[in-house]
Parts: sequence; C-alpha cells; structure tokens
Amino acid sequence: MAVSTSPSVAAVDDLTRDRSGHVRRRTALDRAIGWLLPLLFLVAIIPILDLVYYVSSQALPTFTLHVLTTNPSGATGGLYAPLVGSLAILSLATGVALAFGFLGGLATAEYVSDSAAGWIRVTANVMAGTPAIVIGLFGYIAFVTYFGWGLSLAAASVTLGVFMTPYVFRATDLAYASVPPHIREAALGSGARPLQYLLKVASPIAFPQVLSGVFLAMAIGVGETAPLVLTTTPVEVPPLGLGSPASALPLYIWTGYQSGYILPSAIHLAFEASFLLLVIVVGLNVLVRIIAARSRRRLEGLFQ
Amino acid sequence: MSEAPPSLSDVVVSVADLSVRARERTILDHVSLDFSARSLTAVVGPSGCGKTTFIRTLNRMTELTPGLSVEGSVFYLGQDIYGASVNPVVVRRRMGMVFQRPTVFPMSVFENAAFGLRLVRTEEDEVDRAVTEALQRAGLWEEVKDELDRPALSLSGGQQQRLCIARALAVRPRVLLLDEPTSALDPGATQRVEATLQRLKDDIVLILVTHNVGQAARISDRIAFLHSGRLVEVGATVEILERPREKLTEQFITGRYE
Repeated sequence: MAVSTSPSVAAVDDLTRDRSGHVRRRTALDRAIGWLLPLLFLVAIIPILDLVYYVSSQALPTFTLHVLTTNPSGATGGLYAPLVGSLAILSLATGVALAFGFLGGLATAEYVSDSAAGWIRVTANVMAGTPAIVIGLFGYIAFVTYFGWGLSLAAASVTLGVFMTPYVFRATDLAYASVPPHIREAALGSGARPLQYLLKVASPIAFPQVLSGVFLAMAIGVGETAPLVLTTTPVEVPPLGLGSPASALPLYIWTGYQSGYILPSAIHLAFEASFLLLVIVVGLNVLVRIIAARSRRRLEGLFQ
Repeated sequence: MSEAPPSLSDVVVSVADLSVRARERTILDHVSLDFSARSLTAVVGPSGCGKTTFIRTLNRMTELTPGLSVEGSVFYLGQDIYGASVNPVVVRRRMGMVFQRPTVFPMSVFENAAFGLRLVRTEEDEVDRAVTEALQRAGLWEEVKDELDRPALSLSGGQQQRLCIARALAVRPRVLLLDEPTSALDPGATQRVEATLQRLKDDIVLILVTHNVGQAARISDRIAFLHSGRLVEVGATVEILERPREKLTEQFITGRYE
C-alpha cells in the first residue's frame, strides 16, 4: 500500500499512456466497429422503412372505413371479405397449431425421454424449413382432395395450421425446457405432483414465452400466401361456413397484382391489402414486445 | 451440546445399509445412520463425498435424477419409504427440503409460503394460520408481515432462503433436509439462517449437509462425516471436533485434508 502512494512510482507508472502498439491497434479496431455497427443497422433498416413508407403512401390516400366494410367487386370495392377471411383462417389455424404445437412442445419438454425429444425436435425443424408451397401442396392433396373438403375455409385453416405448428412447438418446447431445474426440484421437493408442478409453477413461468411464440407464429402465418393458393380461392364474400371458400388478404395481393396489367385499380386494392397486413403484423409484434417486457419484470432474478 | 442417548422410540429417520450407484460408480456405500427427534445433525465431508446424494435419498429426490439406483432402506417412523406402496409425493411432504440456492417461485411472498398447503385442499383460514406460523418459525415474519403480497423474487437472497424454509415448514413436516442452505449467502444472511435453524431443532429433526465445519460446530448437535461415499464417523459435535477417532476425520476438520 505504501509503495503505490509514493510519488516516484506514480510518475513512472503513468496509467493514462499506453506504450504498446498492440493495445493501440485493438483500441482503434474497437472504435471502428463501434461506428460500423450502427451503420450496418441503418443499412438493414432503410429498406424496411422504405417499404412501409411506400405501401402506406400508396394505400393511405384512399384508405377510408369503406375499405374495411365493403366487399370487393372485381378490381374495385373494399376488402371486407378478405379481411374477415384472413381473420377466420388465422383463428382456426392458430387453434390447430396450438393443439399440435403446444401439446407437442409440452410433451417434448416435460414427458418424453431425451433421445426421443431429440428426434422430435429434428422433425419439427425439418417441418419449419419445409417450403410453404410444399405445405400448400400437402394441404391440397390431403384436405382438398383426399378428405374432399374442396377449396374451403377448413382446408385453408388446417393447412395454415400445419404450417404454423412448428413455430408454436418450438416456442413451447423452449419455454418449458428453460424453466430452471432448481425450481422444478423445489416444487417436486415440496410434494407437488408432476401435474401440479406443471400447472402451478412451470406454466406461469413459461406462459409469456409461449404466448410470444404463438403471436409470432400468427404474424408469420397471416402473411403466408403459398399454403392458401392451393387450398382456397379469392371469393368476393366472407365465408359462410367451414365448407365454403374463404378469401384472404395475401391472396388479394397476389391476384390483384397479377391482374394489375389490365386493371390498375386492382393494384391499388393490392396495396390496401398490403397495408392492412402490415398493420396486423406490426400489431402482433408490438404485442409480443409488451408481453416480453412485462414478463421480464415479473420474472427478474429467476433465471440466475 | 452433548447428545442425549437416543431411545428407540425417539428415532424418526433410520437409514439402514443404504447404497447408491450410478452405473458402475458407487456414490454411497452401505451407510447406516439414525436421526432422533429434536436434533440437528450436520453431514459433512469434502466435495463429491456423497453428502448431497445422501440427503436426497431421504425423501426420494434421487428419483428425479435418471440413472441412480438405490439399495437398502430408509425408515420414516418405522415405514420403509422405498416400500412398494409408498407414494414419494407424500414422503416429500413429511420431509421438506431446502436447497443450496434460494428457490422461490415467481409469486408473492404469501403464495410462496402457502405453496405446499395449496397442493392439497386446505381451508383458507388454515392457510393464513399456517403461513403466519411458518414465516414466524423461519424468522422472516417481522420483515415481511406488512408486504405479504410483494413478489418473492424482490426479497434479498437471505430472505428468499428463509422464505424457502418457511415454505417447507408450512406443511408441518417432521423432518427438514437442508442441502448447504447458506452456501450462496453472505455472512450476515448466513448468521440469520443459522439462528433460525437453531430455534427449529427444538421442534423437528434437522439434517444439514454442509462443507463448512465452522457451521457444523456452531449449530449442530451431532456430526456425521462422509468420505468417498462411506460413513467414516458419527458422534456428538464436541466429540468429533475435539477427539475424532479416525485420522480422516481429524484431517478434514482441521483443514489439512488433501
């Protein structure tokens, strides 16, 4: 202690100067990367902002409540039918994805042996990587033709549900597997039966993450076109039941753009549909952020 | 601090010829040991001696670790807890457990303490009564009585650990198993947990695993020394500390253990 306060040593050991070029180079690199990262972030975000701006600028000038309340009619009218169709397909598909994805994820995280869980996860990853159009083709073969449901709300919903299942599965599996093992031991050590542990301890911890996963799966699913093009068709009225075809916003973008060569107003309808989709997707993502922030506050200190 | 001669009727937990193996490796090797009412036994030994596994066999927590095989018997008031018809869930309610790190659940202080009570049908009045009593016995009541709705995760580490003790006590177990309960706590919090344990031993059987000889000296009546899965020596704390019979014990308690 006495040595470090002596003036002669302090003079020799100047802490403000770095004499080694090695350290100087690293400091320079560190600064350069510190500038580069925000720059790269800008490069990434500019196209997104441009996209949002362009879609909004095309859709908003004529966007009135009329768009939400009138059915389309040829290349004119509103988007009532595809909006209702999209929401109907999305709700039913979410139900399907929850039934398989949630229960599958729960079983994989909690009940299945480690080796079986590994195989199930690989399968789910392959499924998540399967191109959407292949899922659409599967839906066409299985539900439209084999089960004979035709081009219908049911066929589109179940097909989209199959597409969304791996996302919900993965979120559920991760959420339950990330409950700290010492919490599990403490619950079982208090005399909780496995089901009680699952309901009273694990689920409140895992639930926000599962919910985030479900909303993200919905955000991905609502914009998917490929699973729908082969399983339903863009009609101009809302679906009357499970057996009748349901229109959907992405389908309108798709067909509106295709017929836009002849009818410019169809392109306009496509932009309005795009804008609606963007609003839904952004809304779902904001919801996910809110859930994450709130659960972080509630669970702070648990995952140490 | 000297041990009263245990009469047969006083024995609450009796470990008889207990061995635990993980595949080829022997973790516990023919351990036999009795625990009497109103006593605090410290199970000490170097890392890897099997002391944690030992107390986990006492309420069948070992079953949660795949690949362990348990032989021998553990009698709780004369019943073998490894008997065919015994329900491990019931065993764990009679013998509570507190772990190395605080394990509070993300709910309020009150709900944490009430956790075990709510696992079975309990009248709300009885829940209130038992939670209050448990928090008092755990020495936490004065600090939390005005904010029972506060999230338990916002308590300090030492308070969380005493809440875990309260959670275990709320179901009124006969035995409390403590697996190095102060190893994650600072000295002040450790002292408060130790004071709590000293009060508790008037009511229930405490079995404390610790690597800390000083802690065993401060609060235990009896020390059991485990080494390489074998029970080397057991006796009154004073006896073990002052006149250990075995060379290994002496080396361990004097800190000259290699």
